[in-house]
Amino acid sequence: MKLSTYNFLTSMAIKGVKVGYPLKLTINKKDVVETEFNPTFVERLLPKLDWSAVYGAAQVAELADDIPAVQPENIAENELLLQKLHHLLFEVDVIEGQLECPETGRVFPIADGIPNMLLNEDEV
Amino acid sequence: METPHTEHLTSEDYEFVYEPAEDSFLLLDALEKDLQFLEEQQPHLCVEIGSGSGVIITALSKKFSNSALCLATDINPRACKATKSTALKNHAQVECLNCNLTQPLRKRSVDLLVFNPPYVVTSDEEMQLQNIAATERNLVYSWAGGQDGRRVTDILLKQLDDILSPNGVLYLLLLRENKPEEIINYLTKLRFKAVKFMERRIPGEHLYILKVTRVST
Repeated sequence: MKLSTYNFLTSMAIKGVKVGYPLKLTINKKDVVETEFNPTFVERLLPKLDWSAVYGAAQVAELADDIPAVQPENIAENELLLQKLHHLLFEVDVIEGQLECPETGRVFPIADGIPNMLLNEDEV
Repeated sequence: METPHTEHLTSEDYEFVYEPAEDSFLLLDALEKDLQFLEEQQPHLCVEIGSGSGVIITALSKKFSNSALCLATDINPRACKATKSTALKNHAQVECLNCNLTQPLRKRSVDLLVFNPPYVVTSDEEMQLQNIAATERNLVYSWAGGQDGRRVTDILLKQLDDILSPNGVLYLLLLRENKPEEIINYLTKLRFKAVKFMERRIPGEHLYILKVTRVST
């Protein structure tokens, strides 16, 4: 699971959960996959991302030194930051780990890079 | 769009995962036919529900490589693995989620949604699988659609407003028995525009691709 995907995941579908975001991420094993850097795409994706979850993911991935806690203005002109965001969002691949609902503590395991987010009927 | 390689998937895989067939290829052809629209739309997040072998989302990912995040969901863990291996074999970047429809995704985030649902008309009992061995279950889920072949499709359509981004688009595969006209009317009431974008007759089936967009306000 790439950290760009992580940014789109919530546990809101669980019965009684109000926000379910951001999920608490744990990384036990990760890979780094080199992918082509497209600054325009990273920049265009930013309005769709939640910066607090971007920063949270950076902390868990031990890349917090690269990413400011608050979203800076004019990122488009900051090629270096775009490159660091590209690395964080598209190159770090979580192989083993888990996601945890911030409200209920329900754990979703990540195995072989695939999060299991199936809910039982009595949970929804 | 290139049809992705699937030689790595074996007949054993296809005991658990739907093998690409005419319906899959019609969906690919529809996306190919609408490529200009899609390129203008510039989707950021592309999602395929029930990706199975992964041919469709892999083809999309190749087309939008480095310009969109491509995500595949499936309730069948074996399908998730098959999708991941298909992406890998074709050097495509596809993310896989083992989940129901788009359940864990943030609201109104999906720009391009593709769904080849379990559309075969069956009894609801057949769909609910009480008497079927666990190993066979996943494959039945891939095609058995219950009454009118619509059980799963109807659940998705009810949630569509919460799934699609403001300029999102859905390509949905249907069978004539799924009553496409009824679905178009239903979507119109929900303030969507739905059109039969493509159709194809194959032995025993008349397939449609419905293209669904929001009515601009």
